[in-house]
Amino acid sequence: MNKKSGSYSIERKQARWGLLFTIPCLVFFAVFSFYPIFNALITSFTNKQALSRTSKWIGLDNYIYIFTKENGGFSFWNSLRATIEFTLGTFIPMVVIALILAVFLMQLRSPKGAKFLQLVYYTPAVLSSVVAATIWMILFDPRGLINQMSNLLLHTTGRDFGWLVDNTMLQISTMIVYFWKYIGYFVILFITGLAAIPPPIYEAATVDGSSRWHTFWRITLPLLKPTAVLVSIMAMLQCLKTFSTQYMFAQNGAARQPIDVITMNIYFTGVRYGRLGRASAMSIILFIIMLLLTYLQFTVSKTDDVEY
Amino acid sequence: MNRYIGKVTIGEIISWILLAVVLLFCLLPIAFMLVASFMDAKQIMSMPFDWVPKKSFFTTDTRTFFTNFIKAIRGNNNNNMFFRNLFNSLFVAITCSVTTILLASLCGYGLAKFRFKGRNFVFMSIMATMMIPFEAIMIPLYMVASNFKMMNTYYGLIVPFLVSAFGVFQMRQYLITFPTEYLDASRVDGLNEFPIYWKIVLPNCTPVIATLGILSFRNQWDNLLWPLLVSQREEMKTIPLYISKFSEEKQTDEGALMACALLASIPMFILFFTLSKYFLGGAGVFESRKG
Repeated sequence: MNKKSGSYSIERKQARWGLLFTIPCLVFFAVFSFYPIFNALITSFTNKQALSRTSKWIGLDNYIYIFTKENGGFSFWNSLRATIEFTLGTFIPMVVIALILAVFLMQLRSPKGAKFLQLVYYTPAVLSSVVAATIWMILFDPRGLINQMSNLLLHTTGRDFGWLVDNTMLQISTMIVYFWKYIGYFVILFITGLAAIPPPIYEAATVDGSSRWHTFWRITLPLLKPTAVLVSIMAMLQCLKTFSTQYMFAQNGAARQPIDVITMNIYFTGVRYGRLGRASAMSIILFIIMLLLTYLQFTVSKTDDVEY
Repeated sequence: MNRYIGKVTIGEIISWILLAVVLLFCLLPIAFMLVASFMDAKQIMSMPFDWVPKKSFFTTDTRTFFTNFIKAIRGNNNNNMFFRNLFNSLFVAITCSVTTILLASLCGYGLAKFRFKGRNFVFMSIMATMMIPFEAIMIPLYMVASNFKMMNTYYGLIVPFLVSAFGVFQMRQYLITFPTEYLDASRVDGLNEFPIYWKIVLPNCTPVIATLGILSFRNQWDNLLWPLLVSQREEMKTIPLYISKFSEEKQTDEGALMACALLASIPMFILFFTLSKYFLGGAGVFESRKG
């Protein structure tokens, strides 16, 4: 036995342990991620329904159905529209305001105050989405606090803005709830990104006589671009999956049509109405949309790495 | 360029105002929940809104003071499911975070510190599952759950969330920097591989364990969609379902609703105020993504 073959057997032993440690997770993901998405794809080509045991292969019929038919008044096109409008209306203000807040927080003179504010901004994220929706539904009531405050701000009296009644206002209301819940989370993401920019860069800029505004536009923002892009895509991915707020609103008497996001349509079509094939087709479309965005995130994070 | 008023710049004043406005925006709804849970529906809907509850702990008897909370606990049709459902939520959330920590650290350790054939393949496959959103696979999982009699069971609630790809990723990134000399020294000391993981590696991952545990706990605590699919029986419901049902049936009793929301938020608030460091740390996705 020479030394070489000894180390070889140690390596073999190591390899076995490595495999042994990773196998439980690998099996889990095979069963609970890969198999289901594959299964969803197969089911989307069948006319499977919840209560019947047999199902027939119907090719692309489900896809044709969801893109051409009304689906009982809640068409998939409407869901796409609702989801896209919600996503754009939520993630753009969220990312912009989170960025501004993060920059302001970083410039506060007292670090303790900044820490405290971060904590406060984050507090709504601690509440569950169901609780958040419940609170806001009461605030949005015709006689509720939001109407009173809006009247105060706009110098009107007794005007009802129809937060839960008017179609557009209803959409805006769901955006506000989501914004409220996640703003702190995104502020912290940006602060993490800002903290990664080394102070000497700022010092050099100050020495060179750059004003704060100038520093922000010319130094902070370009250096923060990769983080900003990543945060934006993360926010978009999150918004695309929204469900709880819309579900709570619809369950409590708001119209479902304007806020019928894709996940809600999947839930109603698949679970309430038992049309598993159609719901699977919708799931696959949602998956493809998110896959494209994730791919975008991946390429952006690869090519756009900054060196300080 | 920078204009001063006294010792502060105008820019600073603007930033203070904005920070304060957002502060109010974040806190007002929570404050509203707090005070409204001690009000009756009439006072909550009064115009203008009066922030001080009319019922006081000192002037009325305690039962009237806590009316809303009593209603919240009695639940729909007085079915008294609040504590049962609270237990379900806690049980599911705690179990999921424990299994996530154990499985993710085991797998992350295997990926970070061992060389074996197919390691990259395993790692890439696990990362690939991050692209599969739960919402896209819930229908197949729902079919599986109903075929395998997992409806209305704890198995059904827990099993799809035993571990997350993100958890594995975080653990791997953290353990890659773990000094290999420690591991080799323990091997020389005659420790077997599993005891090394259990006694050396795991106790040294506390920060990741904390962030990961909290992340997984709150994901389950907040989960509405999956319990909606698998829990139909009252005694197997979780807190989000309880509130959702309660709010459907008590739409006009806002005080009771807010009391219910407040009670349901207490566990998370306790967790948040004791472990806030790890909550905020949980957002540090970027540090790990870069590494």
